[in-house]
Amino acid sequence: MAASLLRTKNDPSEMLPKTGENCLYLGASIGGTVSHIHDCICGSGNHHKGHILAVDISPRMMRDLVQLCDKRPGIVPLLADARSITELSPFINKKVDWFHQDLSVADQAKTFVKISEKFLKSGGVGLLSLKGASERVSEGDIKKRFENAEKILKDSRLRIIERIDLRGLEEHHILFNCRME
Amino acid sequence: MQVHYDWRLARILNDDGVVIDEILWNSSKSISSVAKRLFELKKGRLSNEAKILFDRFDNVKIHPQGHLDDPNWPEYSNEERELFEKALINMAKLGVAESSGNIDRRMDMLVSSANEIRSAWTTSESRCIEWIGLFLTELNLEIKRKNIIETVAFCDTIQEVATSLETVSPLHTPAHNEWSTMKKHCESVIGLSNRMSDHEDSIRLLALEYIPSLSALLGPLGASKLVVLAGSRERLARMPSGSLQVLGADAAMAAHRNGAPPPKHGSVLFSMPQVSKSPRWVRGKVARYIAGKASIAVRIDHFDGKPWGESEIEEIFKEVKTIIDKFPNPPKRK
Ligand SMILES: C[S@@+](CC[C@H](N)C(=O)[O-])C[C@H]1O[C@@H](n2cnc3c(N)ncnc32)[C@H](O)[C@@H]1O
Repeated sequence: MAASLLRTKNDPSEMLPKTGENCLYLGASIGGTVSHIHDCICGSGNHHKGHILAVDISPRMMRDLVQLCDKRPGIVPLLADARSITELSPFINKKVDWFHQDLSVADQAKTFVKISEKFLKSGGVGLLSLKGASERVSEGDIKKRFENAEKILKDSRLRIIERIDLRGLEEHHILFNCRME
Repeated sequence: MQVHYDWRLARILNDDGVVIDEILWNSSKSISSVAKRLFELKKGRLSNEAKILFDRFDNVKIHPQGHLDDPNWPEYSNEERELFEKALINMAKLGVAESSGNIDRRMDMLVSSANEIRSAWTTSESRCIEWIGLFLTELNLEIKRKNIIETVAFCDTIQEVATSLETVSPLHTPAHNEWSTMKKHCESVIGLSNRMSDHEDSIRLLALEYIPSLSALLGPLGASKLVVLAGSRERLARMPSGSLQVLGADAAMAAHRNGAPPPKHGSVLFSMPQVSKSPRWVRGKVARYIAGKASIAVRIDHFDGKPWGESEIEEIFKEVKTIIDKFPNPPKRK
C-alpha cells in the first residue's frame, strides 16, 4: 500500500480514503495496513467517525487483529470468508466509499469484482492487491495471471484508473486502482 | 414485492419502492443478543422479522443486500453503531476461542513440533557422537550409535565408557567440567528422543480418531503429515490424487517447473516401504496407486464414511504386490 502511493502517477491522496469515510478491507491479516487506513479516516480516538470493517478468515490473524480493534475504535473485526457475500452482507449497513482486497487466494479478481459490485458505492475507490504468490509459480505464469485478472476487471462495472507495478519494491506485486462506475 | 432487512428491522416494499409494512426488532438489545443475531444472519438465515413479513404476503422476494440500494434505509444511530461494533469484537473473540477446537490446528502443532524436535535431535546426536569419537579414537561410530550416547549418560568417567564399550582407553581425557558438559549433552539427546516418542504417541491417538482410514493405509504418523502438508483434512480431501502424490516434494516440484521431470512421490509416500523398497522403475506406479487410495481414504474420513478396516487395506497391499510383480525388470532404454 505504502509502496503503491510512492509509485502512482496520479495524485496519491485520491487512492486513500478521506476522513469519516466507510471502508471495507478484505484480508486484513494482523492489521498492518488497516491501522494506516484508520489513521486516514478516523484520527486517533475516532473523532472523525470513520469506520473500517476488517475481514480475515484466519483465527490466528484475528487474534492479533482484535487487540488492535480494542485499542482503536472505528476498526471493526470480522472473522469470515471474504469470498462469501452471505457471510459479509449482514455487516455492511451501507455501501462503502473505499474497498481494498489483499487475499492470499487464487482467483482474487473474480472475488474483487463480485464484492465491489455488491458493496462498493458508485464512484467509490476499489484497490486490488495482487501478488505473484510464492516461489511456486514461474515468471510466465505470473504474467498470464496478472493479464487474466486485468481482463476480468475490464469486463466488470469497475473502471481501471491505473495499474501500479510494484516490482522491485516487493516481488511480483501489482495494485489495480479502480473506481466503481 | 421485496423484503429488505438487517439485524435491526425488516421492511416489505412494493414494486414502486413504497414501504407496505415494517417490523422492528423489539427485544432488549445487548451486546450478546446483537452478536447472536448477527451470527445467525452470517450463516444465511433470515431474521425473525423478515420471516414474518415473508409469510404475511404472497409473491415476495427476499433480498438480503436489498437495503443497500434503498435510499430510505435508516442509518445506524450512534447507539446502534456502538452495539454493532462491540458485538463484532465479541464475535471475533469467540471465533478465536473456538478455533482451539479445530483438530487440524492441533494436529499441525503436534506434527510441526515433532519435526522441530527431530531436527534438534539429529543435530545434537551427531555432535555427541563426534565429540565422544574425538576421545575414543578407535571406537566404531557407526555400529551401535544409540548405545554410545546411552553409555556416556550412564557412566561417570570417559574411562568407564571405554571399558563398557570395549574399546581402547583414551590417550587424552576431557577435563572434569568438560566431561560433565558432554555427559549432560548426551542426556539431553536421550531426553529429546523420549519427547519425540511422547509426541508421536499423541499424534497417533489424534490421527486414529480423526483420520482412521488414511491412518490404516499410511500409518497414523504419515497420514497426519499429509493432513498438515495439505493445510487441513478438508483440503486434503478436496485435493486431486496427483497433488496428494507429490505432497512434501517441494524442491522437486520447483525443479519440475523449470523443466526437470516431475517427482514421482512426496516425502510421505516415499517413507512407505512399498514405495521406497521397491525397484526404482515401479516406485512411480506404486506411488500413484497408493495416492489414489489415500485420496479415497481421506474422503471417507472427512465426509463421515465407514472407516476402512484390515480387509480393505490387505486388498490394497495385495494389489500393490501385483503391480510390483508385473514389472520385474527395468524398462528398456529407448
Ligand atoms: C497477504 S495477507 C494481507 C496482508 C495485509 N494486506 C497487510 O498489508 O497487512 C493475506 C491475508 O488474507 C487472508 N485470507 C486468505 N483467504 C481469505 C479468505 N477467503 N477470506 C478472508 N481472508 C482470507 C489470510 O488469512 C491473510 O491474513
